Amino acid sequence: MNGIARALVTLLPAPFRRAFEEEILDQIEREWAAARGRGRMAAWIYAASAVGDLLRTACMERIRPTWVPDETTTNEMRGGGERMMTWMRDLGLAARSLRRSPMFAVMVAGTLGLSIGANGAIFTVVNDVLLDPLPFSEPERLVHIEASAPGSDLPEEFGVSNEFFVEYAKLTDVFDGVARYNGYTATVRTADRTERAPLSSPSVSLFRTLGVEPILGRLPTEEDDGTAALLSHGAWIDWFGGDEAILGRSVEMVGQMRTVVGVMGPDFEFPFDGIVAWLPITIRPENVTPGRFGTVLVARLRPDVTIEMARERMDATALTLPELYGGSPNYARLIEQHRSVARPLEEELRGWVAQPLRVLLGALLIVLLVACANVTNLFLVRAERRRLDYSVRRAMGAGRVELARTQLAEVLLLAALSGAVAMLFAWLALPVLLSAAPQGVPGLDEVAIGSATLAFTFLLCATAAALCGLVPVLRAAASETGVLGGRTRGAVGRRSRGRDALVALQTALALVLLVGSGLLLRSFQELSGVDPGYETTDIFSFQIAVEDEPGMVDGFAFARFHMDFMDQLRALPGVERVGLVNNLPLEEAVQSARFRPDGERADEDGGPQLSMNYVGGDYFETMGIELLRGRVFTEDEGLENPGHVVISARAAELLWPGEDPLGRRLYWPQMETWETVVGVVEDVLQDDLRYEVSPMVYFPMVGRTATSWDLQSPAYVVRTNRAEVIAPEVRALAREAAPSAPMYRVFTMRELADDNLLSLSFTLLIMAAASGLALILGTVGLYGVLSYIVAERTREIGVRMALGAEGRSVQRMVVLRGVQVVVVGIVIGALTALAVTRTLGALLFGVSAVDTMTFVAVSLAIFLVGVLASYVPARRASSIDPVEALRAA
Amino acid sequence: MTEASMSNLDYHVLLAMAEGPRYGYAIRNAVEDESSGTLSPRAGTLYRVIARLMGVGFVREAEASTEESHPGRPRKYYALTPDGRIALAREAERLRGAAALAEERLGRLTSRP
Repeated sequence: MNGIARALVTLLPAPFRRAFEEEILDQIEREWAAARGRGRMAAWIYAASAVGDLLRTACMERIRPTWVPDETTTNEMRGGGERMMTWMRDLGLAARSLRRSPMFAVMVAGTLGLSIGANGAIFTVVNDVLLDPLPFSEPERLVHIEASAPGSDLPEEFGVSNEFFVEYAKLTDVFDGVARYNGYTATVRTADRTERAPLSSPSVSLFRTLGVEPILGRLPTEEDDGTAALLSHGAWIDWFGGDEAILGRSVEMVGQMRTVVGVMGPDFEFPFDGIVAWLPITIRPENVTPGRFGTVLVARLRPDVTIEMARERMDATALTLPELYGGSPNYARLIEQHRSVARPLEEELRGWVAQPLRVLLGALLIVLLVACANVTNLFLVRAERRRLDYSVRRAMGAGRVELARTQLAEVLLLAALSGAVAMLFAWLALPVLLSAAPQGVPGLDEVAIGSATLAFTFLLCATAAALCGLVPVLRAAASETGVLGGRTRGAVGRRSRGRDALVALQTALALVLLVGSGLLLRSFQELSGVDPGYETTDIFSFQIAVEDEPGMVDGFAFARFHMDFMDQLRALPGVERVGLVNNLPLEEAVQSARFRPDGERADEDGGPQLSMNYVGGDYFETMGIELLRGRVFTEDEGLENPGHVVISARAAELLWPGEDPLGRRLYWPQMETWETVVGVVEDVLQDDLRYEVSPMVYFPMVGRTATSWDLQSPAYVVRTNRAEVIAPEVRALAREAAPSAPMYRVFTMRELADDNLLSLSFTLLIMAAASGLALILGTVGLYGVLSYIVAERTREIGVRMALGAEGRSVQRMVVLRGVQVVVVGIVIGALTALAVTRTLGALLFGVSAVDTMTFVAVSLAIFLVGVLASYVPARRASSIDPVEALRAA
Repeated sequence: MTEASMSNLDYHVLLAMAEGPRYGYAIRNAVEDESSGTLSPRAGTLYRVIARLMGVGFVREAEASTEESHPGRPRKYYALTPDGRIALAREAERLRGAAALAEERLGRLTSRP
């Protein structure tokens, strides 16, 4: 206690402390001894009250000093310890002075606090999502590998085929391991639980390539030969209660019994969060069919090997593949066009999140700059008002350093206050931000305010304090005694020019942000206005995994079940139509294959690459996909397939340009079957609203034979105006029809469409908030400066009006002054925006980064706001009474 | 400082010095005893009062009287100034008046049937 007391006593103002320190410590020592004599409780209570008393005394003595030092004590204040005391005194002074102008303190702490806090919240996300290294050993050596074939009709980038994997794995001079992996949803079954769960079937090499170890059990080996499973930490806890006896037990996954050989650590969730298990597979070169593209690879570069070196080796290796594995002429052609694609794994996993986050952090930093400009202005106006005060103090013998220190103390105090507001705001805003963020951002659930947020907030506060505080501190230091006599015109003019520059800067920054939001808004409108070829309202969708129901032995059995269940769904109140589709648009990717139109020579296995989907029931009518020619499938074709297909308009154009496709036939080399076109439907955007339409071939739900294709759990689509609320009824129905079948992937098409826009709408929302804030701050800044100038020039305006100037001309003078500043800001801002809107890149859709309309509209809007902000002070100026003005001045 | 603005604590601190110079802890103890335990000022508060009373000229630092010296380090003693004595006397007068008024009124109240 005595030590604490000695420490606390140092907080007392120096003169008071000098006079009473010993006595105070003496009294505390005695009281403490007495209190301890009365027991532990009494001692604690005493300690608390003594500490409180000292703190209170330290504060009170600063606010209302009782002990006024004489000359000798002031002159003694020089030593190192005293400097600290001087600071304490200055902070005390600053606190008092801020208490006298609470509006100023609130404005500064509010403006800086909110903008720093917003930055802190976004930074926390950026830090936890982007800056945390991937949880693999030496993640910078990991690369993601795909294929490209410029000049072919394949997508810009696509997964490789297994022969690439086998041969790349032999490139040990550039790679320290190559692995393939995938991700899908399939049924996992334990004694008491059956669920559709996210799984991955990687190559055995995945774990060693990534450099991860299990926390329990072992990694898979080639000897396991597709019988082993590794559980994720989450699944181990959730499904098996963290039981270590799980090792060696068998679990049914994807219809096969798998032996659990290991459990991975909680950090390892690859390729996506929430994965339940990895079912490693062994790829044998003798079983590889060349040209089955679609597999992504991850590889570990050897130290000192660059991505470029690895790509050269891969390109050279790919050229040898037709010789090693054979394949069709088309395959050989594709290999000639092939260029390997390799980029850091980190970019692949986080790139799509990184861009919006960087844009947002950039936008909020701009807001902070605008806020700093505003606060600087506030400081300047305040310094202006205090010029007299400073002059008096200078005249009374205060040194420049002392005045600067007093001002600095105020700046520091406000920075600390802003920091507190910022942390509070970040803490409040982060949950809101996270709940609005798009799903699937890796690591988003681990985002939390932490020491990094604190450090970043501190850094921003310090920077803001330096930016805003420098000028007023210098100004305080430069105070002269001379101004006591009268005001110097020139100085006022120079200072208001400085403030003009600040307002121009704010205008420019606000314009940059508004243009950014404008472009995002236009993209959002464009994207919302895209016609995907199907409707997104009033459609409910779900899947049920019926493959384990009794009697589900072949495709026909599945078809019969689904037909029956569709009938039951149709009987629900409010249901208009029901259909089935294997891959729901916007939800699941579709497979694609080459089809050869009739009339082309059989020896060429060319033909366009078409996407495939399998439909049943009233799929087209339910989704509102328009029938252009012919007919859609009949109910009989859903149950027994005579080899009919429906194709999309784009597919028809690719297969038979300018000809009538009805009744024509197309050859499907993979299945070695001929299919007859019975109908043509409208094109749809299958994968993403941003992409182009896919040429589609629709097959009926069942193949020609019981096993020709295996569509166990297609997505149901239900057209009903009760799409948002029908889920419980459907669930009840499903439980009755298929008691052990889990229902999953329950959506409305509206949700899927909204999710598709989410990354953009999220960015747009924050950008809009940021630019709105910048605009308000900028407007306040302009208004403040003009008001101040009007107040400063009251006398001058009074004289002018006394000499016959009209109110209108005075108004014009003030508005013109404001408009000049704003126009300069607009020009600078527009030029800056031209340079930086490029960073929005992939976020934009259907609008150019230098869209003239957006630039013009935003500039005009800012101009109008500028005129408005100038008009109010101008009105005040023109209503100045010359007599009053002259008398007051 | 006028008598009207003199707080209860001010009064008791002055009162503690009325018999002669006292040092801080002794003042604190006297205040506690003489206020029947209702006042028990902690160190900071006590010395702010002493500082203020010194500032208005009611209290001064004094030489220690030899008979009251205590073992340990040398202490500062505080004593009343003539102004302090007058102020204390006036305050006592005012309090007596106020007390008498209270007794009179309470007496009237209690003597009612």
